[in-house]
Amino acid sequence: MFSRRNLITYAIALLFILVLNFLLPRMMPGDPLMAIYGEEALVQMTPELKASLVERFALDQSLWQQFGAYFTALFTGDLGHSYYYNAPVFEVILGRLPWTLLLVGLSLILSTVIGILLGIESGWRRGSKTDGTLLTGLMALNGFPDFFIGTVLLLVFGVTLGLFPLGGALTPYSGLSGAALLVDVLKHLALPLAALTLAHVAASYLLTRNTMITVLKEPYMLTARAKGLSERVMKYRHAGRNSMLPVITSAGVRLGRVVTGALFVEIIFSYPGLGYLAYEALLARDYPVIQGVLLAVAVFVLVANFLADLSYPKLDPRVSYAR
Amino acid sequence: MHVDLKKELTGSGRGRFGAALFLLMVVTATFAPLLAGYDPTAQSPLAFQSPSLSHLLGTNHVGQDIWSQLVYGARTSLLVGLSVAVLSTLLSTIIGTSAAMIGGWYDRIVMRVVDALIVIPIIIVLILVAAYLQPGLWVLIILLSLLGWQAGARIVRSQALSLKERTHLSAARCFGGSRLYLLYRHVVPDLGPILLVEFIYSMRRAIFMEAGLAFLGIADPGMISWGMMMREALDFSYVNAWLWWLLPPGITLSLTIVSITFIGYSLEPTMEPRLRGEAHA
Repeated sequence: MFSRRNLITYAIALLFILVLNFLLPRMMPGDPLMAIYGEEALVQMTPELKASLVERFALDQSLWQQFGAYFTALFTGDLGHSYYYNAPVFEVILGRLPWTLLLVGLSLILSTVIGILLGIESGWRRGSKTDGTLLTGLMALNGFPDFFIGTVLLLVFGVTLGLFPLGGALTPYSGLSGAALLVDVLKHLALPLAALTLAHVAASYLLTRNTMITVLKEPYMLTARAKGLSERVMKYRHAGRNSMLPVITSAGVRLGRVVTGALFVEIIFSYPGLGYLAYEALLARDYPVIQGVLLAVAVFVLVANFLADLSYPKLDPRVSYAR
Repeated sequence: MHVDLKKELTGSGRGRFGAALFLLMVVTATFAPLLAGYDPTAQSPLAFQSPSLSHLLGTNHVGQDIWSQLVYGARTSLLVGLSVAVLSTLLSTIIGTSAAMIGGWYDRIVMRVVDALIVIPIIIVLILVAAYLQPGLWVLIILLSLLGWQAGARIVRSQALSLKERTHLSAARCFGGSRLYLLYRHVVPDLGPILLVEFIYSMRRAIFMEAGLAFLGIADPGMISWGMMMREALDFSYVNAWLWWLLPPGITLSLTIVSITFIGYSLEPTMEPRLRGEAHA
């Protein structure tokens, strides 16, 4: 079902981010070119380049015309030029995107599956000792910032025990291929993935456990028991499956959180995705890249949320009745 | 809604643990100058000292006393957390109740803005703004508050809408009570438990985000903060100093957030479970 109200909400959100991206550098004191392009650009600045940049951004015209120029450039996929990498920002981002997608995708799947399984277990035995331990443990884990979990994993398993590489996504210049390459990638991925998964497993666990407890009170659970179904069938097929619903529909929101979490985790492990790129750009004051990465991530999160919103009524018919 | 908050809080092990831990952090932050022993910003030639009696947690790369930084870090975290919680709960209350009481086009516009702000990844906006502004303590507090009221406003509005229809409010309206009178005399007091839970979760979110921004190194470098300590220590992870330099701020930060989570969770039954706030940063 297509909701116009939703679409307007997301359009406002996108506009907010675009206007912020546009206004911030232009409101900074001093030369706007410096704020738009960063320090590296000024080093290479020649009068001709400066003239072409002023023209490209319509900097000598009114704010509205500038916004128009900015908007048109964006829609043609032009995110600007990074003088630090000496490449278009779009290409720089595209080169890093696969690593972030790998990390975020796997972590979302793992944290969802583990969260659901633990949530079913905990909810089924609500009030028991296992439930209490799991609940306290995961709520505590939920309080640990992802960047702290990552740091501890790095220091214990990487630095002290030497079991995993300390950073990067591949062993440089190793010339590996085939299975050896896969092992190398997985070895580099293990710690960041573990950190991100640990930091986000609690969200789907708590949601599953809550729903599980409500579902167990439903009349159909009594019917299932009366039919003489086995414990296992009742627990997973009847209660468990129904408790998964909110977790699946909240995947869009959780994806947003995992993506922003990945920004931090990548920095710790120098994992060459978008987060590490943004961090390098922050250190180098490479504003076009900072803006490009944050815009890309924000749009990604908005799209994920939007798709999740669209999927609610499909996955849970009760939502569309409720409207 | 009349609930015994003290009973709810101390009724569960988690609630007691959270309250005790949080109290400990508040005491540490309050008496930071007495507990520290050194000026946390004072540099000395004695860099990379191991823990000793004169420097309980050793010194960092520029010879600052790590224990003193840890103690003062509690101040920053709690100051940011509490101030943002006050400001953003205030914003939530004003915006949520006004939308409910005024209604009409005002309500529609406000709720549109709320919806849009809820789907925006706030931490991304914060990183972007902070990268340009390099915010100090108070600018950061204002930024976090301005970006932290939306979920609360939605909850407050829906609760205020239902309160508006209750009979005692109709009675007060019949006796000629003005909208403003109804608002502060009847609606706001009844919102108490919801505002409290909202307050706790905003505090948690703010402490989380402040630490994250400081960890990225985009907050004011002059601010002593647990996130900043962790980032500095991470650059020297090849020396064993991380044991007393990186772990303490990480653990105190996590414990602070855990204590707030436990307090919030034990208070949640005081309001309708369906109105549970956004529990995550």
